[in-house]
Amino acid sequence: MKPLEKYNPAVLFIYFLLLASLVMFAANPVMTMIAFVAMNSAAVVYAGNGLGRAYIFYAVIFVLTSLANPVFSHNGVTVLLVVNDNPITLEAVLYGVMTGFTILSVLLLFRVFSTLMTSDRLLYIFGRAFPKLGLLLSMTLRFVPLFGRQRRKIENTQKTLGLYKNENAIDTIKGKLSILSAMTTWGLENGIVTADSMSARGYGIKRSRTSFSMYRFERSDAFMLCAVLLSCGFIFLGIAIDKLKTDFYPRIELSEVSAYALISYVLYALIAFFPFVAKLAEREAQKKLFKESCDNSVNRERIEKRDSV
Amino acid sequence: MPVINNPTVRKILRIIIPFLVVPAAVLVGAYVFEDKMYAYVSLVITILAIVLFISGFEKRRTGSRRMVIVVVMTVIAVIGRFVPIIKPVAAITVISGVFLGGESGFLVGSMTSVVSNFFWGQGPWTPFQMFSWGMIGLVAGLIGKYLKTSKPVLYIYGAFSGLLFSLIMDVWTVLWYNDGFSWDGYLAAIASAAPMTILYAFSNVIFLIILFDPIGKKLERIRTVYGL
Repeated sequence: MKPLEKYNPAVLFIYFLLLASLVMFAANPVMTMIAFVAMNSAAVVYAGNGLGRAYIFYAVIFVLTSLANPVFSHNGVTVLLVVNDNPITLEAVLYGVMTGFTILSVLLLFRVFSTLMTSDRLLYIFGRAFPKLGLLLSMTLRFVPLFGRQRRKIENTQKTLGLYKNENAIDTIKGKLSILSAMTTWGLENGIVTADSMSARGYGIKRSRTSFSMYRFERSDAFMLCAVLLSCGFIFLGIAIDKLKTDFYPRIELSEVSAYALISYVLYALIAFFPFVAKLAEREAQKKLFKESCDNSVNRERIEKRDSV
Repeated sequence: MPVINNPTVRKILRIIIPFLVVPAAVLVGAYVFEDKMYAYVSLVITILAIVLFISGFEKRRTGSRRMVIVVVMTVIAVIGRFVPIIKPVAAITVISGVFLGGESGFLVGSMTSVVSNFFWGQGPWTPFQMFSWGMIGLVAGLIGKYLKTSKPVLYIYGAFSGLLFSLIMDVWTVLWYNDGFSWDGYLAAIASAAPMTILYAFSNVIFLIILFDPIGKKLERIRTVYGL
């Protein structure tokens, strides 16, 4: 199985777009739970850094969304308790909990999305469709690290010259401001030079431009694209013709168990778990490769020993 | 940079894009697609912001220079967003609007949202954020004369733009929590966001006090030296 990073960015973008809209559209508890588990596992393997801290934030969001719905919405027939003449209903609570899971799944999906769709991949897609915009975005993204480096240079220079003090808070702020001042002047001047240099090299000429990373559209991309489009189309059709519908108000009515619904769930699980499975397969392949190379080197050592004796 | 030659077209674009087309795009994106298509909506607003920016100048020669200045201001704002707690983004947008013109202010505001969200997380809130910061920059450009001459007006506008940002973002909060807009929910959202609103207003004023004169002077100088 090809690692997800190796697919054509356009295919990946369509995949994430469709998956995100399915996660948000499908108001169906089974699908919500599939998405939630799948997105958690994907986030752990793809965007594990700082995930622990993010979960604190996610927990707050989950509690807020779950509470907000029963407080604002008083539909539903099963009254749990009455607060200030406003009934809190079981249906509204459960709907809130499901919305909470949906929002968490979407946030986790964004997390995976932003690790996989790096800026060069996004520019590969949009740089072709909208060259001006692609250039503007790539220039801005380039300036961010460039400014970071320049800031460090200026800071070091000021420290060496003895202009920068950080003995107390006010001195620190003053020092930072003088750095910002130098940065602004430098940035503006440098920007003008960049602009002149760009127009001297033919920026704005109406010609097709190339991008930093090149991706080909391979057969596996076509296969992936077809699989994603077909299964998402199948599920969207199911939502459209009410095969996957779950009513929460006035009372909870789960959709009937039908062959269509079951197939939809399986397809949904397949596409939702795809990133996770692809990563596991990649790791397995790497392990195997590593093991083989280890075995080979051991063998080689043995052979060398034997030869030397 | 392309130039729109017809002055009437320029004038019409400068009015209908920020006050009609962009709000319509944001609301259509939120209502009709129910926040699902936020990536496209962000893209459309970025393109509209660039069209607005292009309709803001007449001469071809200074176009790309001006664009790079806008990019530099955007980067300063993006980096500024990494300052903990108090954020200088709106203040820098206001400064750009005043000294480079409202159209540039709009572009700085909306670009800052898109670019900084590559670091802070893109989402359905991006179009709303783009619109609110963009409007803060545009209005700053429209009343730039007064902001430049009178410091109290400037600080009041800074505080007001914090409020404006909060009011527009609360629309998103309501749309996201409930399926549709309700005034009760909106008022509740405004009330619960009040501490943040005060913080926005406070940080805008603080950063305008600190940054307005120094950065303004630099921008003025660049404009004089390079004939923008």
